Amino acid sequence: MAVGAAAPALSRPGTAPLLRAEGITRHFTVSGTRIDVLHDCTFEVGRGEVVAIVGQSGSGKSTLLNVLGLLDRPSSGTYDFDGVDTTRLREGARSRLRGEGIGFVFQQFHLLERRTALANVGVPLVLAGVPALRRRARARELLESVGLEHRLHSRPHQLSGGEQQRVALARALSRDPALVLADEPTGALDAASSTMIMDQLLEQARVRDAAVIVVTHDPKVAERADRVIQLVEGRTR
Amino acid sequence: MLRSLTAGIVLAFAGSRANVARTILSCAGIVVGVGSLILVVTGSDFGERFAIAYSETNAGRAATFEISVMEEVSDQEALEEDIRRAGAQEVSLFQTPSASVLLRSGGTVIDTADFRGVDASLGEIRRFTMAEGRWFTEADLESRVPVLVVNEDLANAMGDRERVQIGTDRWTDVRIVGVLESSGTDFTWQSAYLLRSPASEDLLFGPPPPGQADPYGDYMPSGGVTYLARIDPGDPAAQDPTGTMFHERLTSTAWRWGVRSSDSVWGYRIDGADVIEDAVTYLSWGLAGIAAITLTTGLLGVLNVGLVTVRERRRELATYRALGASRFTLFVVVVMESVVVSLVAGVIALLACWALVTAAAAVLESFVSLPTGVALAIPPSGVLVGLGSAAAVGLLAGIVPAMRALRSSVVAGLRE
Repeated sequence: MAVGAAAPALSRPGTAPLLRAEGITRHFTVSGTRIDVLHDCTFEVGRGEVVAIVGQSGSGKSTLLNVLGLLDRPSSGTYDFDGVDTTRLREGARSRLRGEGIGFVFQQFHLLERRTALANVGVPLVLAGVPALRRRARARELLESVGLEHRLHSRPHQLSGGEQQRVALARALSRDPALVLADEPTGALDAASSTMIMDQLLEQARVRDAAVIVVTHDPKVAERADRVIQLVEGRTR
Repeated sequence: MLRSLTAGIVLAFAGSRANVARTILSCAGIVVGVGSLILVVTGSDFGERFAIAYSETNAGRAATFEISVMEEVSDQEALEEDIRRAGAQEVSLFQTPSASVLLRSGGTVIDTADFRGVDASLGEIRRFTMAEGRWFTEADLESRVPVLVVNEDLANAMGDRERVQIGTDRWTDVRIVGVLESSGTDFTWQSAYLLRSPASEDLLFGPPPPGQADPYGDYMPSGGVTYLARIDPGDPAAQDPTGTMFHERLTSTAWRWGVRSSDSVWGYRIDGADVIEDAVTYLSWGLAGIAAITLTTGLLGVLNVGLVTVRERRRELATYRALGASRFTLFVVVVMESVVVSLVAGVIALLACWALVTAAAAVLESFVSLPTGVALAIPPSGVLVGLGSAAAVGLLAGIVPAMRALRSSVVAGLRE
């Protein structure tokens, strides 16, 4: 779908959307001055759907992603995730929901520096209370699925950018989330690595029936989405 | 909650292993503090055990009284009965013979040994460790010859231990049934305990031989006796430092054993258990205070490193939050890392102290023979106090950085 296309609320016929954002606003107060970043953002994302969020720098893409990832609360509006109104949840429940339902892929990978690839992928499983043996087996399986079976014991600084992002992808998928949020996942990669990461992200999401929301500047990445949401000065179009 | 706690602990251990440099940096202060504390506990424990062993060997177990009657006692049985009635659980004669006793074995004559006439019950009053043989038993009362237990110094000075005689003006065969271990607590030279029995009656209570004066006659009139008695340390009489209560109990019936003046009866506590306890308590508080100051310095070191690293690790901690860690898990991660670091420091301190104490024990034992059960070693309480204080310091030092970590914005952390 072309960048800038309209953003209708799409869900599979007969199924409830995975997430529904309605009238989301977010403002910050800096030195007494109110800065409105998001205005009345309303949209839905269905299960298994791939959505790209595009927009200029400062248009509020990352802020929206933080709200969708339950890392930040909207100033007003409602955000339902998997049938739960997240704006009413306490912090502990939001953390639990985030851990169980949402996987993150960051532009700068955010791998733990002194841990191996295997250990990095295992972190969400530690948080889920998965026993050590099962955790290692699962992390190994995920790394194999992204083609890193030969890099299990490598630390981030021993990996290329593309490999680090594949580790981050494996980590994002470790708890089979219903939603993968990718913030400029190819922003720090060359063209070949970008293509490989997007191939793997979309393939792994398809296999798991996970929805993907990608924030990107890259038209090639946006083209691969089922739908594109454009943000202009904090408003969805 | 439990899952958050477990996850926090697992991640904290992994973090400590991964950040070895940080762990070592944080350890230094705690190693010194915990090491000092372990050495304080070890020193106090050793000092207390040595002092108690010294007191129990040379005076008696808590609470031992020495009772001297400085005039002739007409009925020793009545006196002993009244000592028991005054609260004594064990009573033993502790009598110097009325004449200088010589000892002959083989061709050797020893005239410098210190003899004391005692009952078998002295074994219940004083702490004795046998190097050979045994202490007296009731069966020894039937012996036809006097029965002795000697110390190692005297045993070593004898030429032949099988054929031994003692005497004042004539020699009497004696039987040695045991040898007492000499140790650093034993400051007498050659000494022997002579069991009070029909066979030793003359040696202990008979008149000195013609021409020989009673060597102790200047302060113990003829017919006077000395006893050691052990009473319950919880008895109010045991708490009375002047011994007045016990003296009053005992002398109220002094007429039964032929003593008219209560001034002729002395009775006072001679063991040092209460004094030792007080001294060890004061010493421990003083030394623990010094250790606490050192430990506080270590705590501040860990706290400082913790605060710096939390600031440096904002992105890492925000990543944990993004991956689903609750605030409680994050709190546990930071606090447990501090606890892990402190425990590692505690274990290092323990190993260092163990090496130091083992070396010190080897040096000490080359100079002094320590009594049985008084080895210089880190006691279990030292291990517990050391590791427990290390964990407590880690816990305290981890709380402030953990609170700061919770206040950090996840979104800001992920942007770094």
